[in-house]
Amino acid sequence: MASCDPSANDRMQVQVASLLSGVSAHGDQHLAEVERDLVQMDVLLDEAIKKLCASFMAIHQAIGMQQETLDSVLSAGSTAPEQSERLQALRDEISRHVGAAVTGLQFQDMTSQLIGRMVQHLAGLRDVFGALGANGTAALPESGSEEMLAMLDRISDRVGARCSELNGLARSTVNQRHMESGDIELF
Amino acid sequence: MTKTILAVDDSGSLRQMLSFSLKAAGYGVIEAVDGQDGLAKAKQQKVDLVLTDQNMPGMDGLSLIKALRGMANYKSVPILMLTTESGDDIKAMGKAAGATGWLVKPFDPARLTEVVKKLIG
Repeated sequence: MASCDPSANDRMQVQVASLLSGVSAHGDQHLAEVERDLVQMDVLLDEAIKKLCASFMAIHQAIGMQQETLDSVLSAGSTAPEQSERLQALRDEISRHVGAAVTGLQFQDMTSQLIGRMVQHLAGLRDVFGALGANGTAALPESGSEEMLAMLDRISDRVGARCSELNGLARSTVNQRHMESGDIELF
Repeated sequence: MTKTILAVDDSGSLRQMLSFSLKAAGYGVIEAVDGQDGLAKAKQQKVDLVLTDQNMPGMDGLSLIKALRGMANYKSVPILMLTTESGDDIKAMGKAAGATGWLVKPFDPARLTEVVKKLIG
């Protein structure tokens, strides 16, 4: 029987070890790439929000000055009622858009929290892959199915422990699925 | 006299939007980057209202509220939590810690200033 053949046993052990270390190395490599991209995305979003906020503030300031200028021009001469109404309507419209922009510009606070949590989970997953590959060929039992089973048990225990740690990672703090303003409750 | 609000949030853009909205409504704003910084600034200068985030590195919002409520001059100062979190459990913890109200992010400047005005005028 093949299972009693010492050379077949040896080959199987080598293949199992090779499979484990392959899954571990490839898994870790892909996760490292994802982690790098997420960190880069966080940096880009941070820089983008700084630029957006700076431009928003500058535009708001310029509009304020433009309105002051218009007010002084209008107060100097006679203004038709319809012109005054039109200007007030424009002010109200600008004010609504400013409010909406302030709400929208808060996106980065949430995306940053979500990215931070994803990076934590990726680090946890990399630990799981690390535990899977911790038994390289150097740690292989010399022979025997019992030793092989014991080694797989140890790997399984380590992976299980890492998976438990992963489950215990920080809970999600961002459940928003849109950028409409949230509820307000006074106690 | 201008009323002063302490805005505590680890997000720079959020602090900027808070500051912008509250200043436009006529309030003075002091910014703090986390709970510890918020507590230090609240000790330096008595403020009229505190707006704090919950999840921040170091001292979180709930711990800040507890620390402020332990200070004689902050026993009755309104403290609003402004956070992404909206679960009933965490809200109950906020209420028990001494929060005056709970605002879920993102905020709308008009609604925020309306609440602030209701609390401190």
